[in-house]
Amino acid sequence: MKNRITELRAERAWTQADLAQRAGVSRQTINAIETGKFDPSLPLAFRLAKLFDLKIEELFLDEQ
Amino acid sequence: MEASMQANNEIRATVRLALWTVAWVATLALARFGPQSLWDPEQVVASWAAVAVNLAASIGWIVSITRYLRAIDELQRKIMQDALAVTLGVGWALGFAYVVVDEADLIARDINVGLLPALMGVVFIIAVFVGQIRYR
Repeated sequence: MKNRITELRAERAWTQADLAQRAGVSRQTINAIETGKFDPSLPLAFRLAKLFDLKIEELFLDEQ
Repeated sequence: MEASMQANNEIRATVRLALWTVAWVATLALARFGPQSLWDPEQVVASWAAVAVNLAASIGWIVSITRYLRAIDELQRKIMQDALAVTLGVGWALGFAYVVVDEADLIARDINVGLLPALMGVVFIIAVFVGQIRYR
């Protein structure tokens, strides 16, 4: 699933490790989500959207 | 706050898993080598008691594995679950293949039954390693 995490993280000058710390996951998880290798669970998707003050559908893009 | 709680849960679950793994290995060694090294093999009660202690430790070990899987980061959980699926598949496939081969008398001598769990352990480690590379 595509997402805007890399772009939004860059706007805030957060590293992957910063975002991982805030979201309570590993840096490897953030990297895998950003590269589209791993789709997060719904609770994590909500946490990430909340961190960026967005709705889930504004952060994660439906590819269909 | 949430991140540090998650990290603490992971550490606690990992320590518990490590301790139960040590307990399981130690009780397995006791059950396997005790009859020759620590008591007379004819003392069947002692041998059965050692097996019972090992099975009890196995239950604790299994529970600690499930708790560990629930506590770890969700990507690590996926890597572990994928590795467990591959390991279970290999175990079943090779186990049943051996049963078929053995029933058909295609091999001259019996294979040590302990080889299968050892092989599954190796497969699990390789599958975790592949998963770590895949999601690097």
